[in-house]
This record gives sequence, C-alpha cells and structure tokens, in this order.
Amino acid sequence: MSRVELTRNHLIKNLLKSRYPQLIVFIIMLAGYLFAILAGLIGTPVGSHNFSIVFVWIAWWAILILIAVPFFGRGWCAVCPIPLPGEWLQRGAVLNPPNKKPKWLNLRWPKFLRNIWLQNLSFLLLALFSSVLLTTPSVTGIVLAMMLFSAIGLSMVFERRSFCRYLCPIGGFIGLYSQTAPIELRIKNKQICVTCDGKPCYNGSSSGYGCPWDVFPGGLTKNTYCGLCMECIRTCPHDNIAINLRPFSTDLAKPTARLDEAFKSFIMLGSAMIYAGVLLGPWGMLKDAAYNVGISNWFVYAAVFLGIIFIILPSLFALCVSRFEYLNSFKKRFTILSTALIPLGLMFWVAFSLSFVFTNATYILASLSDPLGLGWNLFGTADAAWQPMLTSILAPVQTLALVGGLIWSARTAQKAANEARVSSIPVIAYCFIATLVMLWLLL
Amino acid sequence: MKPSELLARSLITVAIIGAVGTPLFLWTRTPLIHAHIAENGGWSPDVIQAEVGKPLHLRFTSDDVIHGFAVGQMDMDAVDIEPGKVSDITLTFDKPGIYTFFCTRWCGLNHWRLRGTIEVNGSSPTPKPASVPLYVTLGLDIDAPHNAPIVPGQLPSPFRGEQLAQTLSIEQIATHEYYVSNSPYQLYKDLNSTNLTDSEKWDVVSYMWQSNTTPVALANGQKLYAQNCAACHGEHGAGDGVFADDLKAAGDSSKQNMMGDNNMSMQTPANFADPTRMLAASPALLQGKILRGGMGTGMPMWGVIFTEEQIWDLIAYLYSFQFKYQ
Amino acid sequence: MQSRFFLLLLVMAGLVVAFAPLPVRLIAPQERTFRIEARQFAYSPSELNVNPGDTVTIQLVSTDVVHGLYIDGYDISAEADPGQTAILTFTANKSGSFRMRCNVTCGAMHPFMIGKINVGKNEWLYRSVGFAVLGVIGFFPLSSLHAQQKMKDKSGLTEKQ
Repeated sequence: MSRVELTRNHLIKNLLKSRYPQLIVFIIMLAGYLFAILAGLIGTPVGSHNFSIVFVWIAWWAILILIAVPFFGRGWCAVCPIPLPGEWLQRGAVLNPPNKKPKWLNLRWPKFLRNIWLQNLSFLLLALFSSVLLTTPSVTGIVLAMMLFSAIGLSMVFERRSFCRYLCPIGGFIGLYSQTAPIELRIKNKQICVTCDGKPCYNGSSSGYGCPWDVFPGGLTKNTYCGLCMECIRTCPHDNIAINLRPFSTDLAKPTARLDEAFKSFIMLGSAMIYAGVLLGPWGMLKDAAYNVGISNWFVYAAVFLGIIFIILPSLFALCVSRFEYLNSFKKRFTILSTALIPLGLMFWVAFSLSFVFTNATYILASLSDPLGLGWNLFGTADAAWQPMLTSILAPVQTLALVGGLIWSARTAQKAANEARVSSIPVIAYCFIATLVMLWLLL
Repeated sequence: MKPSELLARSLITVAIIGAVGTPLFLWTRTPLIHAHIAENGGWSPDVIQAEVGKPLHLRFTSDDVIHGFAVGQMDMDAVDIEPGKVSDITLTFDKPGIYTFFCTRWCGLNHWRLRGTIEVNGSSPTPKPASVPLYVTLGLDIDAPHNAPIVPGQLPSPFRGEQLAQTLSIEQIATHEYYVSNSPYQLYKDLNSTNLTDSEKWDVVSYMWQSNTTPVALANGQKLYAQNCAACHGEHGAGDGVFADDLKAAGDSSKQNMMGDNNMSMQTPANFADPTRMLAASPALLQGKILRGGMGTGMPMWGVIFTEEQIWDLIAYLYSFQFKYQ
Repeated sequence: MQSRFFLLLLVMAGLVVAFAPLPVRLIAPQERTFRIEARQFAYSPSELNVNPGDTVTIQLVSTDVVHGLYIDGYDISAEADPGQTAILTFTANKSGSFRMRCNVTCGAMHPFMIGKINVGKNEWLYRSVGFAVLGVIGFFPLSSLHAQQKMKDKSGLTEKQ
C-alpha cells in the first residue's frame, strides 16, 4: 500500500490551508448556483436550452460522476455552494472566526437520525420525479432553491453542516462512492492526537472551525463522511493532518457493517438500471409512465421502482449471502458483502451518464451563450446545433466501464467475503447478472 | 470587522448581485412573444399594436415545440420559432386594420387555433367588410349535403377530354364564370346534350376543370395543402390525416348537437378522394367552406389567413384528387 | 511467473473476444421500407431490424408535432411536420445496434425520445458479454495466483494492511 502525501508539497499545502483560493471558488460556485435557480425560474421552459437543466444535469453531472467522484471522492463537497450562506450566518463570518459568534440554536443532530436513511429518502424522492426534474427548468430551479433554503434553515437550528451530512441527496451517494477514490484526508500520527489537548480539529479554535461534518479527524479511517472542507488542516496545531494520494478503493478493504449504507448501494444500483431502461431505452410507455406524475401508470412505475430497489435487489442479494452457517450474523454478511456493489454501482452510473452526456454535450455550447433563452449570444455559440459526440467510441467505453466495474466488484467481493468468511461466488454471480442486464440496456 | 472579512463579504455581495440582479434586470427589458401550443395558452401576448408605416420589430420564442409566424393575407415568408431560441421579424404595414397572425408549423390538434391579431393604428375592433364571397352571392347553403348521383367509373383524363372538347361547341359553358359557380357534376349534366359516353363526358369535365387553372397554381395549391390541410385531410386527400382519429374521437365524446343532428360536431375530415361528394361541390362551395370554416366540425376558418388567389389555387389542387391532371 | 503467463492468456482471449469475426449468415441485401409514426415521445415501431447491406427507407410520419429522426453512427436525419411524411433512405453498411433520436425539440421529454435500429446482430453486445464472462472467469485463477505470489513474497512478515 503506497501513499503519497500531497500536502508535503508546500504549494499544495498553502493553497489548501489559505482561505482565499477556497473563497474565490466558493464565490464562483455560489454565483453559478444562484444563477441556475434564476434561470430555472425565469428562463425558457425548454429544458435543452435553459442553463439550469444544461449546466446542472449535463455539465455538472458529467463532471461529478465522471471526474469528481471517481478521482476526488467527496471533492464536489469541498466546493459545493449549498451550505455556504447558512454556514456564514451560523459562523458569523466568511473567513476567520470572529470574536463573537452569533447565537444560533446549535442543537445536536438527533441520535436516531445519525445515519444516511434521510439521504436515502431524499435521493429517492428526486429519483421518482427524475423525468420531470431533468427536463423542466422550473422544477430544477425550485429543487435547487429548496436545497439551499433547507441548508440555511438547518444551519440556524442545528450545529455544523447538518444538511450536508444528513439530508443532501447527492451527499448520500458521493459519500458511499468516495470510498473508492484515490485521495483521502487522514492524520499522520495517531500518537499526536492521543496527547492533543482540546482537539481543536473537532471543537474549533481561533484559526478555524470545528469539523463542519461532525467527524473527528483523529478517528477518520474512511472517506465516507469527510467533506474535504480543509478546516481541520487549518486548526490542527500539530500539523498532523495530511491529504494523501492512495490506490483506488482502499477504503473498501474496511467494509461497512451498516444497513443504511448497504441500502444506498441498492438504491444507486437499481436507479441506474431503471434510468437506463426508461430514459435511454426505446420503450415509450415507460417514459410516459415516468413523466406523467399523478396518472395511474405513474403510481405503477413508482411502485415498481421502489419494489426493485427495496425488495427485488436486496432479497436476491440476501439469497447470495444466506446459504452459509458461519459465525457471522446474517446482517453482518449482508452489509459487509454489499460493499462489493459500490464499485459496480459507480461504474453503472458512469456508463449510464456517458450516454446522455456524449449525446447532449453540444447543448452546453448553446446554453453558455444564451442561458435564459432570451436571444443573447454571449460567446457566439448560441446557434450551436445539437450533434451527438463520439458515438462511435461510446459503446466500447461503456463496456470498459461496466466490465471494469464488474472485475472491480469481484475483487471487492472476494476481499469482503474473506472478512465475512463466506464464499464470494454467489455475490460475484449477482454482480455478473446485473452487469449483463446493464450491458443489454445500454448497448 | 477585519478588512479581509469586509472585502470578502463585499465580493460575495457583488457576485450575487451580478449573478442574479443583472440577468433579472435584462430579462425584464426583453419583451418576447411566447408561443405555446393552443392547449397551453397559444400566443402570449396575442394582441399587438402597430402603426401604419412604422416598422414593427417582433421577437419570438417558443416555450414548448416548434412553431412559426406569419401574417394572414400578406405576402411574406414565415419565420420558424424554435423552442428555447429567439427569432425575429420586422413588419411594415401600409394600411390600417386588424391583421391576423398565425402559427405556420403544425403543433398539435389545435394548431390552427394558434392565432392572434395585430391592430394597426388603433383601428376599431369592427373591420371594414370584405367583399361578399361568391357562395353568398349565389345563395349556396354550404352546409347542405352535396352528393353526385353519378360518378365516373375510372379517373377522368383531361388529356382525352381536351381532344373531345375540340369537337364540341361548348364555349358558353367553358368560361371561368361557369367554372367557379358550378360543380363538375353540373357540367356533366349539361353535357347530356352531346353524344358523348359517360366516361367521355367526365373526361371533358376534367379538361374544363384543368383549363381553369395553371401548373403554377396547382403547385402552389399543393404546397398550401401539404402545409395546412394534409395533417387532417390526409396526404392523399382521403380524410385520413394524422389528426383524423382525434377529431372523430372528440366528436364522439362531445356530441355537440345543433339542430338535432350530428352535422355540427367534430368529425372525420372530408375525403377529397370521394367522388360522390367532391364532384358535386362547386369551387364556390369549396371556397365558402374554406373561408368560413366548419362551425364546430373542426374545420378551421381560413378567411383571414389565405388570400383569394391562394384559396383558388388550393381549390384547383383539391380537384386533382378526382381528375388525372398532368 | 505463473500469474504472468495466465495474464497473457487472458489478454489473448480478450483480443479474440474483441476482434474475432462472428459467423455471418450471407443474406442478400434487400430493399426495406418502414413507416414510423412519431409522437411525443416515442417512435412506433420503436425497434427496426434489418440486415447489413439492406437499402432502408424510413417514412417518418409525425402524428402530433414536428419530430425528427436522427440515427447514431450513420449521422443522418430527417424531419417531418404532421401532414408531410419525410423520407430517409440509406444503405445499412454499418452493422450493430444504433439508436434513433429525435432531433427537433418536441417537448419536455424530447432528449429521451429514442428508438433502435438493429443492423444485423448486435455484435458489440455479444463481445461485451464475452468480456464480462472472461473477466469473471479469468479473475479467480488470477487473483489466487496473485495471492500465492504475495504469500511467497511476504514469508515471515505480519504487517497488517
């Protein structure tokens, strides 16, 4: 296991430690986010020509699922603008901690909600309405605004970034998949933390704030809940925190034993397959059912959607881990082996996203020049025609992603199976069949 | 507050105002005419003011599907209005009045209802009366059934008809006036005084009809038909266009009954390939139907849209479903 | 060394899966005509099957608003207004499975208005399945060989990963 400490490089370290570069990025992101809300609300109702649809569901989504998550884990969370207004209000400052902190409620997040079930729910809520969300600017604008206002509201009531940690639909799966990423934030030397007085990385100090993600950096062993906000790097008085480059999927060697994370895997796996079928397949009836929210067929669609995710996929998986009379409990076997579905789900989403990104990327050019559909031509590209790109290499790249994901899952299953003391073969067969289904749906 | 904090907060405020305020302001300064399918509101706005002689610059966008814009009875090229994009046109009017603008790309069953008005120079809502249409002068009841009891056994040929006509002395019934006021069946009956066989008479009828139009007019009529009529009446005139079923279903379900019969309810579009009805229709009758529309049957009124010449061209083309024009 | 040999075997098998020509039934190219009705947001029929080399004519009939039909891979398209059938003729010289897409914005779900044309067999799907099978089958021996290798290298060391 070779790790390369990136923060050993002084340029990188200072760039991350200083608040100014981060602030510039924050300002750009926040401005873009607010503009996306505006575009959704007052811009053209035609999705393919509205900044909010094109830049959220094509451009941002492509960067997120193809680059940010696989290579930077929770890298998006590091620059996401949603928590910012709430956090600035909560902290009473934009940069360094002020002398007097404003008196907000600062409640502890309720214990029974200290899991990702709410995030599973919020993702499913968006997923059930995805056909409308992905095509209707006003709906995207409203959802973005709701997320922003929820984050602000939660920051006024609860401590730290409660929206990000417990409610954000994106954060749920970014966290899960960040375990596969090749970068991490970890302490350098455990002994130093043992003797550290006050633990300013968690509690804050005059140089910075306590971890907004409610994580104790000294105990970080996996990427799942660290949002790469860099506060702990600023507060640690012993310079004991580092950003490391490491092999892919290192965290998967420490499989989770949590049911909420296991079900997140099923949610992501199931929704990738359903989207591939409904959105990218030739079956018009499915699209009608998915889009026309409220008609009886939509309820059937929603029921089937939830059935696949909560009943079919998990119970088939349960069969794959059930036939053994070993020491571990069923729940442990189920959750530990579900770790194998993490690389599979990530690659399913990569393969699915490649299809509609390559097909519709040219909308980005038009939307850049005329974001609201008002007839502007800011960069001269307003008349860029729709033209699918790279269609000849799409299929091979999707195959690479899916088969690569399958092998990656098999490897993960094997390691997890060793840990859970079961055979990995049924789980690998499960992944294999899921991959065949996805190949058939996409190719 | 530290200066760095102040600077940071100022930057944030400026960025937000820029990202939100500027586009919002520009949006309020961009008046656009929004086109929607009729079911979702049609043109918005649908009344435009203009002045005689002053160029009127209009900018359009579509909020759903592709539409188009043209002004009725004006010689102009239609402008396509694409969803999410802006197109524009500049019009100048030299006569006051109320002009009708309409959608030129089929956008659903109710596409033809997508119309609005341009009021030029504050004219009063009552337009000056147009010339009386021929069917009114002739006293035709254009809603009455019209059926030819005898129809040709095969498609009549104007080519044969021309040769036959030269042997006859029918100048008095070969005039344009006769053509517009009488149906082909009427001419067939009037030919009973000759010694021709039935099919020869129909051939002469078809020749008479063809000689009252030109290839240019027929081509124009074909283009108008394809763009405006084919969607309901079918690409081959058989009343089986893509919206025919929807119209019939709308009629069945509404059963709009006037005068106790189903004549005035939405129904399957007329079949121009049906000789029984078509051959008993005079051009004046057809002109009446096109001008006035169908009074609830789903047939649009084209009076404010087509010029007279366009309607005669279209009518000439309609007869080509009955006669083998070359 | 054993694992390297096995890896080589896998790579060769992979190349075979990728490039080996599949048995092709020689069917004489025909002329085929399809009438496709386009509505918001589907084609009917939504899947066409032709043989490689066929001359394919598609009559595109729009039944509600203006629709287009674009074919991936062939990069050709047609656009039809209701009432005006559009004709698209081409020779199906590329085999595989290609998606048809609407290229005239026709409403909300326009980007997902999709059909499929299958020219011959969907070869790439078969090859992909082959890769998946290869991946799963080859994975076990390779990983156990790899594990054996590691055990040999680390004889005596007990450092936890």
